[in-house]
Amino acid sequence: MSANGTNKTEMVKDAIYQACLNLDEQKWDEWLGQCDENFEYSITAHSPEIGKDMKYLGLNALELKEYFELLPKHNTDHSPLRRHATVYSVSVDEKAKTAEAVTSFLITQEMFDGVNAPLDTGENHLFVVGKYLDKLKIENGHAVFTERETRIHTRRLDKGSHWVF
Amino acid sequence: MPARNNEQWEQKPDLKKGEWVDSRIYSDEEIFEEELSRIWKKAWIPLMHESELPEPFDFRTAIIAREPVIVVRGPDNQIRAFLNVCPHRGMALDRRPAGSFLQGEPSGNAKHMTCMFHGWQFDMKGNCVEIPREKAGYQGRVTKEGQGLRRLRCETKFGGIVWVCLDDKIDCDVEGWAAGSLDCIRKSLDEEPLEIFHYHKAIIDCNYKLWHDTNSEFYHDYMHYHNRITGFDDAYFARECSAFDNGHVNVGTFTVNYGEYEVAHDRGDLTFPHLPPNNWYMVDMFPGVNVNLRGSALRMDLMTPLSANKVMIEFRGLGLKSDSKKVRDHRIHHHNTIWGPFGRNLHEDLVGVAGQGVTMMPNSEPRRILHGRHEGLYIHDEVGMRHFYDTWGKWMDRLPSDPGKKYEPGLVVGPEMPPAKGISIFPGKGAVAAE
Ligand code: FES
Ligand SMILES: [Fe+2]
Repeated sequence: MSANGTNKTEMVKDAIYQACLNLDEQKWDEWLGQCDENFEYSITAHSPEIGKDMKYLGLNALELKEYFELLPKHNTDHSPLRRHATVYSVSVDEKAKTAEAVTSFLITQEMFDGVNAPLDTGENHLFVVGKYLDKLKIENGHAVFTERETRIHTRRLDKGSHWVF
Repeated sequence: MPARNNEQWEQKPDLKKGEWVDSRIYSDEEIFEEELSRIWKKAWIPLMHESELPEPFDFRTAIIAREPVIVVRGPDNQIRAFLNVCPHRGMALDRRPAGSFLQGEPSGNAKHMTCMFHGWQFDMKGNCVEIPREKAGYQGRVTKEGQGLRRLRCETKFGGIVWVCLDDKIDCDVEGWAAGSLDCIRKSLDEEPLEIFHYHKAIIDCNYKLWHDTNSEFYHDYMHYHNRITGFDDAYFARECSAFDNGHVNVGTFTVNYGEYEVAHDRGDLTFPHLPPNNWYMVDMFPGVNVNLRGSALRMDLMTPLSANKVMIEFRGLGLKSDSKKVRDHRIHHHNTIWGPFGRNLHEDLVGVAGQGVTMMPNSEPRRILHGRHEGLYIHDEVGMRHFYDTWGKWMDRLPSDPGKKYEPGLVVGPEMPPAKGISIFPGKGAVAAE
C-alpha cells in the first residue's frame, strides 16, 4: 500500500473511532456531522430462529435527525451505553476515493435504572455484540460516512433502546 | 388525600370487586405454579407462525409451562407437535431453536428426529423407527412399536398461526377457543399466506400478566407521551373494547393519524387485505398472547412465563408472503418505527412493566392494583383487564382481589358508569358521543 493509502486507512480508522466517542457520549449531532447528507443507517440481524435476515431499524440522514430530535419526548431507560470497538479491516479504493471498513464491537450498559436501581446501579454488563459494516468517502483530508450497517448478533434485547448503536 | 399511614394504605379501595386485584397474583410463587398447571397446561397457545418452518422436515422448538415442545413439518406438509423429550432417558430430541431434519447428524439419519444420546430415531409423525440393538438389549421387553413420542394437539389456524395445547382433553378446537375474538381480523389473516419477517425477544423481571395488562389497556398512552401529543384525536378515543368467552378481548378500529407523527410517514398506502387504510385491531388472548394488526404489519407477542416475576416475551412481525421486496421493506419500516426494538412504543412499554416488576417481587407486601376505570367501554376503559381477571379467577378458583379466597361470580366487568352523552371522554379533545 502506498504511503498515501496508509494515510487514508488511518483517516477511516479515525472516523470510526471518533464516531464511537460521539455515540458513547450521545453527541448525536456531532455524529451526524460525520455523515454524508445521503447517509443510510441500519441495524440488522440474522435470526436462525425464523431463518431470516432482519432489519431492526433503517433510517436515512434526515430520518435519523428527526429520530434524535424526538428522544427528549420519550421515556427511555437511562443506563448509558458504551462501545468497545476494533477496526478489523479497511479497504481503500484510491480511484473512487471511497473506503469500506469492518469494525467489531461490544456494547456495554452501565446500569442506572437497571432492573432495580438500588441494587443494579453501577454495574456494567454486556448488552450487544456486533459489527459495523461501513462505507465512507474520502474528501478534504477526512473520511465521511455514506452508509453504516450495524449488524448485531443479539436478538435478546430485553428492554431495548431508543439509542441507536 | 395526603400521603397515607400504614393502616390507610392497607385499606381496601372504595371500589367494587373486580375493579382491583391483589398484587400477590403477580408475585406469589405458589399462585404462579398453580397458573402453569391450571391455565397454561390447559389452554391453546399460539406458539409460532407456520412460515418459521417453511419446508418439509423443518422444525422449531418452544416451551409451554416448562414443558419442551418441538413442532415439525412432515413430508406431507402437515405441521405436528410433540414433547421435545426422548422416551428413552429424557434427552431433548433436538437442542436447537430451529433447523431441518433433512440433513443427517453425527448420531442419526437424514429425515429422522434422532436423539443424539443413544440413537433412538423417530419419523415426522412421531413414530419410533429405530432403537439401536433393540432385540439384543431389551429381548422384546421394549419395542419401537411402544415407544412413540408424546404427540400434542396442534392446529394451524388463523393466518397460519401454529397452536399447541398440552391437554389432550381440552374441550374445544382453536376455533372454539378463540370464541370470535379474532373474527375482526380473520379475513385479513386468511386471504393469502402470511410470512414472518421479524423476531426478537425480551426477558423481563415481571409477572407475565403485567405485560398482558399493558397490551389490554390504553390508558397508558400517558407513558407514550410523544404519541399522545401528536397522533390522538376524537376517533382515537372512540375506540371500543369487546370481551369474548375464555378471557379474550379485542379493541376495535380507529384511524391513526400517522401524518402527524414526525417520523412515521403516512401508512395509508399499504395495508392488509380487507383492512381499510390506517385501521387498527388489537386482540388480547387469554392467557398471554397479543395479536395486533395495524395498517401494514401484523405483530404477535407471545409470553412464556418463567417464574412469578420473570417472563420471556417473543415479538414477531408478519407481512404477506406475496410481498415484493419493495413492499416488504415498506412493511418492515412501518413495523420498526413503533414496534421494533428501537421503535417509539415498545421500549417505553417494556420499561413500564419492568418498573412494576420491581414493586412486585416475590414475597413483597401485598398491594391493591386498580383496574377500575369505566369509560363506556371506550379506549381508556379498563374492561379488558377486568374481563381477563374474571376469567383468571374462574380458572384458578381464586378471587383476584383476595387470592386466598375462592372465586365468586358477579365481579364487576362491564360498564358501570358510561360517560354522559355529549360529554368528552377526554377533556380538551372535543366531544365524543357515547351511545
Ligand atoms: S436418551 Fe434419547 S436415545 Fe437415550
Ligand atoms: Fe404501549
